[in-house]
Amino acid sequence: MATVSTVLSNERAVAPVRRPRSARRRMLLLADVAGLSPTLLLYGLFIVIPVLFAIFLSFTTWDVVGPLRWVGVANWSRFFSDPGAHHALLVTLELVGLSWLVETPLAMALGLFIAGTQRYRSVYAAIYLLPLLLSTAGIALMWQGVLSPEFGGLAWFSFHLKLSFLNQNWLGSPGITLYVLVVIIAWQFVPFHALIYQAGRRAIPREMYEAARVDGASLAQTFRYVTLPQLRYTIVTSSMLIVVGSLTYFDIIFILTEGGPGDTTRVLSLYMYDTGFLQTEFGYASVLAVVLAVLGIAVALLLIRLTGFGKMDSGREGIW
Amino acid sequence: MIRESLSRIGSRRFGSVLAAFAVAAFIVAVPAIGASSASVHSTAPTASINVWMVDNGANVNNLWTQQATSFDAAHPGDHVNVSITPSSSNTYQVKLLSALGTNNPPALFFSWGGGTLQQFIQAGKAQPFADAGMTDAGSPSWTKDFLSSSLGPVTFNKKVYGIPILGTQPVLFFYNKTVLAKYHLAFPQTVPEMLSDVKILAAHNTALIGLGNVDNWEGLMYLEYFADREGGPSVFLNIQANKKNAWSNPAIVSALKDIQTLVKDNAFQTGYDSISWGTGFVDALVYQGVAAMELMGDWDLGIMLSDNATFVHSGQLGIGAFPTVPGGKGNANDLEGNTTNYVAMATKITSAQTYVAEQFAASVFSSKAYAAAEVKDGLVPMVAGSASLLNASPLKKYLVPVYNMVAKAPYFQYSWDQALGPVKATPMVTNLGKVFDLTETPAQFVKIMNGYQTGS
Repeated sequence: MATVSTVLSNERAVAPVRRPRSARRRMLLLADVAGLSPTLLLYGLFIVIPVLFAIFLSFTTWDVVGPLRWVGVANWSRFFSDPGAHHALLVTLELVGLSWLVETPLAMALGLFIAGTQRYRSVYAAIYLLPLLLSTAGIALMWQGVLSPEFGGLAWFSFHLKLSFLNQNWLGSPGITLYVLVVIIAWQFVPFHALIYQAGRRAIPREMYEAARVDGASLAQTFRYVTLPQLRYTIVTSSMLIVVGSLTYFDIIFILTEGGPGDTTRVLSLYMYDTGFLQTEFGYASVLAVVLAVLGIAVALLLIRLTGFGKMDSGREGIW
Repeated sequence: MIRESLSRIGSRRFGSVLAAFAVAAFIVAVPAIGASSASVHSTAPTASINVWMVDNGANVNNLWTQQATSFDAAHPGDHVNVSITPSSSNTYQVKLLSALGTNNPPALFFSWGGGTLQQFIQAGKAQPFADAGMTDAGSPSWTKDFLSSSLGPVTFNKKVYGIPILGTQPVLFFYNKTVLAKYHLAFPQTVPEMLSDVKILAAHNTALIGLGNVDNWEGLMYLEYFADREGGPSVFLNIQANKKNAWSNPAIVSALKDIQTLVKDNAFQTGYDSISWGTGFVDALVYQGVAAMELMGDWDLGIMLSDNATFVHSGQLGIGAFPTVPGGKGNANDLEGNTTNYVAMATKITSAQTYVAEQFAASVFSSKAYAAAEVKDGLVPMVAGSASLLNASPLKKYLVPVYNMVAKAPYFQYSWDQALGPVKATPMVTNLGKVFDLTETPAQFVKIMNGYQTGS
């Protein structure tokens, strides 16, 4: 009993000490909330509220200048029967797939190269990374100048060097324009992803390469069994940025083709812009915006689930 | 239409500022009369206003900014700030739409009139013009200073919502005489002649027609003309009246086929669907002889004067009407295009800004001096009594034929995209772009566009 009473009395004695601790916790929580509030406020103002507003708008008709009218699910029914939207969705997915296929190996190769120790590496790196310094509009106009079939740089080479295959209607042929856009977008973004790969490669411990060399691994084997597995999360990060970025890609396509020729390069974001700002149907354009947002989130979650990226397991068990 | 008005050009014209001041003085002196018809500010309010314009070449752009500067000098306390949106009309429309939705729109804004302006009016975003400080909203005294037909696209419910700021803008062929002469060709008068010329020029690596159709509105001019030449004005009037299946008219199908024939025969230069006319690229094709001609609104003469005055003054430039279609029902003298361009006035501005905006618009755009400046810049003004200015101009060889074409046109069709408004115009030009790229058949185009005809 004495023991029990001692315990009880001890508990009693401890209780007043616990109260200030929970108060401290509350203070810390308050401090956290206060610290986060500017971010939460901005996030709410510029992300949450617009998203909720877009969802609300998708059930209305609105031309910005006139009154807003509730139309229920009419805009959503229209989306499911609109061949223009389905086509835009298909073009978007094609652009996403092609962008990933082109950008990933190029960025990886370039990233591994600039992470190395070759002579003049930094000079080459500076040249390769040049597109990072240019604005998107500038890049689009520059390529417009290069590809113009009448006065463009390629047309000049075609004429003076008798390279007739260069004389194509690069931005106006339904069969090739989407691929040309993929190349231009890759030209713009490969340097950025190369930087990610460079950082990933530099984070791989030198000991792993030394061990591979001691084991007699060839260059290809070292890449296959050391570099590639160690870059696993770098690949996921870069892929997620490419995929989500391509889903909402707009500016270069808008400047170079405006979705043409015909609608062969009209991606969903451009279709949304045309529907909203040119056709002044902001209700239906909001449906397209919501579809894009849902698609982006779904793809990101899928990538995380498939790759185990969310668990963030160490790729280097046993190293340290 | 314009023809009728041009033939009725009268000498009666008052400077609208003088008129407004005269009326104001009269009303101040006789308050009882003023109370019955109009009211006036006891002292002229002052304000700063924004005016949004669309790029029309350096000369016209400068003319607008000079007018604002002169107005500021003559009206201490007022400030008129002219902003010019470069090149793309689509860019401007988007910017304007956003601005009109806010509480801080430009007091005056560039407009094509028609369906888009009507949309703004119905939403209460644009207000009718009055004489500054008066209550005659919708029928200001300056309407008498313009050819009456010029106000059609900005008159709704018998009220005037826009003031003409540029010349009449029929769509015509602008051609390089040197190129046609080099291959012993005359300007084609019929479509078969045009197709024959296409083949002759293609054999010499030259396109008959320069086109910049990335934003699709330039291609629409071909549909407008072919449809009119084939079937006459009723083809489009039925579409505009929202009649069911109006796009199924054989003239539309035939017009779309004619367009695809031009494409298949390589009438247009390579890459016509990947460049924007607003970049000046197409004009350059004609200057340099890469293409023999281009179909464009008469505003292009002013732009050519800004960009390559030598080409215009040397006489290399020729102007011709769209060729006829043998057996077509349309009149060979019918014209397509914009009657003119306007500035309209936003609703959400202060009363002082409204006063200054009305004062600026009336005193500048209806004046004889402005009309003379327009002629100098290659425009055929909509200000009444400008015929003598055209005859005295060094550009007489271009301006007088345009004036005559407009004067004798039995029908002047307002541009389809502006007439229909954005909801129908956007799918129309987008699908027409596919017709130009041969990725959509005329039948598919007709079927899609009939889907937008909701009438019976």
